[in-house]
Amino acid sequence: MKNPNASLQAGPTILLVESNITEKENFAHIALQQGWQLVICNSGIDAIHWFNKTNKADILVIEENSTPLNGYQTADYIKTELGLMLPVLITVGTVPTPQELRVITYAEGVIKKPFIKSTSVLQINEILKRLPEKSPAQTDCYSLNYLRDIFDGHEESVFESLKLFSTSVNTELEQLNIELQDKDFNRIREIAHSIKPSFEMLENETGRSICHLLNSEAEETKMPGLIHDLQLEFASIKKQLTRDFPDLKIGG
Amino acid sequence: MKRILVIEDNPMVIKSLEFKLTKDGHEVLIAKDGREAMKFLKEANFDLILTDLMLPFVTGKELISYIKKNSPKTPIIVLSTSTQENIIMDAFNMGVDDFITKPFSPNELSLRVKRFLNKA
Repeated sequence: MKNPNASLQAGPTILLVESNITEKENFAHIALQQGWQLVICNSGIDAIHWFNKTNKADILVIEENSTPLNGYQTADYIKTELGLMLPVLITVGTVPTPQELRVITYAEGVIKKPFIKSTSVLQINEILKRLPEKSPAQTDCYSLNYLRDIFDGHEESVFESLKLFSTSVNTELEQLNIELQDKDFNRIREIAHSIKPSFEMLENETGRSICHLLNSEAEETKMPGLIHDLQLEFASIKKQLTRDFPDLKIGG
Repeated sequence: MKRILVIEDNPMVIKSLEFKLTKDGHEVLIAKDGREAMKFLKEANFDLILTDLMLPFVTGKELISYIKKNSPKTPIIVLSTSTQENIIMDAFNMGVDDFITKPFSPNELSLRVKRFLNKA
């Protein structure tokens, strides 16, 4: 099952399906205050199209009486047909429409309207808190497959390698900044060459590609942007490692 | 026990090579840059050398040239990245015996190393 969760770094993305203009405005106001990125769709079908196109959101908040697919049907479609492991909150009026138990399980929870900051935020934050545990996307930044293979499943060596990744790449990235200030582009290429295998060993394609570009065809004018992107990618991996292996104290 | 010199500056690659080669029963010495490698090469003999080409202080080319001059029978395997085709060709022209792309496959590394050590 794919996971569409991809935006926690910049604030979670909430996809809202809501037909009532006042409620849309209410929710938009809450989202703005909370730093959520809000995408509004007019129907469950629109939401499905949106997921098909971008594949990115952290939670779907959809009204139960959305048409032509209601909230539960949309949740079911997104999970079973699109294969997205996406939490769904169903919004209901003061009197929710009775649903079969089987149908209720399509969603992770229910929010009562009108949207009130205190309850809506609490419910959505509860779901967001649970995301790292239930989401396989937490390992999207890296994989331990190669390290486990090379170290014959010797976990201690795998973890030592993760620490090495964190410390050694961090040092080299700091050096990249210095070389950039000095405009020593040859040295930048050498450093990129040197750290590229580190990203490859964690099977991180973004880091590998950026190092490849820096070490090969990147124009000098493009290097500041690439280095910046590489630093962001490294920060993402490190954040992920810190979350997955708190005992390693990688965060530092 | 065969003695292998690994010349490589990436600590993760070093750790993985050291683990695998030691597990295969070899004695492994590590040089993290060209200068350190030159020191080892002047002090000891090796059954096999695994070297990166882009190294601090003394380049891989200079190292290969030195090894070929002073210990021509020692097999050399270049640790390369996929972007170094031209550099690898130059290295072959200088007499290196083989190359392995980083990050390497554990089994492939074992087999290639074994092949050259059996010849030695």
